Amino acid sequence: MQPEAPLAPPPAPAVRALSCPNCGGTVELRAAGYTVHVGCQYCGSILDTTDGLVKLVTQAHAAQVTPDIPLGTRGALFGVEWEAIGYLRRSQDYYRWDEYLLFNPYHGYRWLVNARGGWSFGTMLTRVPTWQTFSSYTLDGAAYMRFFAGTATVDRVVGEFYWRVAVGETVKTGDWVRPGFMLSRETSEREESWTLNQWVPDRMMVQAFGVAPARRVWPPLPHQPSPWGAWLGKGALIGGIALAFLLVLSIVLGGTRWITSQSLPVAVDGREQNATIGPIHLSDRYQRVQVRSTVPRLENGWVDLDYSLVDRRTQQVFAASGAAERYQGTDSDGPWTEGARDSDVSIAAVPAGDYDLIVDYKGNRWSENGTFYPDGGWMEPTNAPQIVVEVGSGTLYGSNLFLAALMIAMPWLIGLLLHLRFEKARKGESDFQPARSEGSDD
Amino acid sequence: MSLHLPCPNCGADVVFRSPALPSRVCDTCHSMLVRSDAGVTQFGIAAALPFDVSPVQIGMRGVDEGQAFEVIGRVRWSWTDGAWNEWLLLFEGGGTAWLGEAMGQFLLLREYPFGEVRSKTLRAIADGERAQIGQKVELFGRKLVIADARQALCITAEGELPFVAPSGWQAYNVDLRGPDGACASLQRDGRTTSFYQGRYVMLAELAPRGLRAIEGWALPDYAA
Repeated sequence: MQPEAPLAPPPAPAVRALSCPNCGGTVELRAAGYTVHVGCQYCGSILDTTDGLVKLVTQAHAAQVTPDIPLGTRGALFGVEWEAIGYLRRSQDYYRWDEYLLFNPYHGYRWLVNARGGWSFGTMLTRVPTWQTFSSYTLDGAAYMRFFAGTATVDRVVGEFYWRVAVGETVKTGDWVRPGFMLSRETSEREESWTLNQWVPDRMMVQAFGVAPARRVWPPLPHQPSPWGAWLGKGALIGGIALAFLLVLSIVLGGTRWITSQSLPVAVDGREQNATIGPIHLSDRYQRVQVRSTVPRLENGWVDLDYSLVDRRTQQVFAASGAAERYQGTDSDGPWTEGARDSDVSIAAVPAGDYDLIVDYKGNRWSENGTFYPDGGWMEPTNAPQIVVEVGSGTLYGSNLFLAALMIAMPWLIGLLLHLRFEKARKGESDFQPARSEGSDD
Repeated sequence: MSLHLPCPNCGADVVFRSPALPSRVCDTCHSMLVRSDAGVTQFGIAAALPFDVSPVQIGMRGVDEGQAFEVIGRVRWSWTDGAWNEWLLLFEGGGTAWLGEAMGQFLLLREYPFGEVRSKTLRAIADGERAQIGQKVELFGRKLVIADARQALCITAEGELPFVAPSGWQAYNVDLRGPDGACASLQRDGRTTSFYQGRYVMLAELAPRGLRAIEGWALPDYAA
C-alpha cells in the first residue's frame, strides 16, 4: 500500500476570537499561546486566557478607550512588520504616556511608546547593562546618562499581554539616555527588567502606522537627538571646505597686477609738491587699486601722501592718503629703528576707465637738538631724495575675504545656538537637572 | 539507529530515533508511548495542545555552533502567570538540547549533570528549599542571579522525549540569568533534580528552516 503523499499542512490561523464573559463583546486573541491577560476593549474587564479558557479576572465597566493606534493595526518598522496587540496608559505623577505592545510571531514582542507626541521603539534586553558610575550605565560600549527616576502606574489596559496586567499596578522606573536611545529599567518585587528604547522620527510613525503627525515635541524627549547635532558636524565640514576654497581663491586671485611706476623728486625745502601719473587704464568692471609709495632714503623723517584717482571721462575722484615715516637712534638698549620706508593703500571698487593719479606729497625732516646726521639728513640734495610710486590693480580685498568667511560661519553659529537651546530644553526635563528645582513652585 | 514500530493503540508507524529518547507521543492518536526491551507500552493519551502561534514546530531544522539539529519533541508547561514551550533539539551527533520559548524570547539550554554543580544555594533548592529571587549564585566561574522560581504544571507534550511528560506532572522550576545573556535552569519534581545551562538566542541566529507558517504573516527574512 502506497502511503499518501503528505500534504503541506495549512498555515496555522493567527487570530482567535473570544467572547468577553463580562460584556459579551468579541475580543480577538492575536498571540495565542503567549498571551496571559487580555483587557476587553469594550468594558475594560481583564480576562485570563492562559489555559485556553477565558476567565474573568477583574470586572470593569469603564468607558471605551480608543488608542491612537487601533489594536490589530500593522506597520513595518526597522524592516519588520509588527501588529499592535496591547495598549497601556501609564502615568507618573501628572505625566502620562501611552505604550503599545507590538507582536510578530517570528520576532517576538516590542514596545511602542508615545510620550507627549514623540515615539520610541522598545526592545527588551536579555542582558544587563553595566553599572559605570552613580549617574551612568554602559551597554555595548555606549554610555547612558541618568535622566529620570520614579514610580509608574498602569491607568488603562486594552488588548493582550504576556503577563498579568492590573490597573493600578506600580513599578519603580529608572531611565538613562544618550542621543537617540533611552535605557529603561523597571523593578517590581518580583523582577528587574531592562528595555532599550530607540527614538523614532514622527514621519516614520506616520508612514508605518498611519498616526496623525504630531506637533513639534517641546521640550524634546529625553533621548531625542538634536536636529542640529548632525547638521553641525556636516556644517563644520562644508564650512571648512568653503573656507579652504576661499583661501586658495585668495592666493590665486589675490595678487596685484602692477600697471605703472614713477619716481617723484622730493624738494629739499619741504614744500607741498604734486605730480600726476597717468593715464592708468583699468579694464575690469570693478577693481581694487593699490598705490604703494616707497621712499628709499627715508631716515628720521616722514612723507605725507594724498592720492586722488580721477576718472578722465567723468572727473569722479577716489581719494586716499598715507604716510611713510622712519626713525632711528641709539639709547641705553642700543640702536633702534621705528616705522617703514613705504606706504601701501588700497582703494576698493574702482570702475573701469582711464584715470590719472594725482599725488600730493611733502617731505619732512625730524629735527631735534643733538641729533647728528653725517650727511645732513635724507632730504639733502646730495642724497637725491625721491619717492617711487607704483600703481596696480587686483580683485580681492582682505576685508571682503573676512566678510565671506563670516558669512560661511554664520549659519553654523546659528545652528550651534539652536543646538544649545535644544539641549538645554531637553536636559531641563531631567529629574537630575540641578537648575530645575529653582522657580518650579510657581 | 531509528526504530520503526507500530503504535500499540492505533497501529500507525512510530519512530524512535535514539535509545536516549525512550518516550514519545504517537503523531496519529496522541498515545503516550514508552519503549523498553519488552517492546512499546502505552502510558495514556496526551492532552490536545492548546492553540498557539509559536513559529517553531516539530521538523524545524537549524544550526547551533556549527552543528545541525532538528526539532523532534515539545513539552508545554504552565504556571499561574502564563505558559511556555520547551522544544527538544536532536543534533547530528546524537546530542540533545532544549529550546525554551517564553514571552517571545528563546533560550538554548543543554543538560548538565547536577552532581557537578557545587553551588550550596542550588543544592539547598534541590533538597527542597524555596529559591530566593535576586539571590546571586556562582556557577562554573560565572555569576548568575536567580531571576524567577515557580511551580510548573505540564500541560501536554508531543513528539519524541527523553522522559514521559504526562499532563498534570508538576515540577519546581528555578531560572537563573547572567549579565551577558547566559542562563541556567533547575528543575525539581520531587524525585529527581535536573540542571540545564545555556544562553538567550535569537531564532534568526539558529538559521531555522521549516518554520511554521502562520496565516497572515510573511515568513521572516532570516528563514528565506
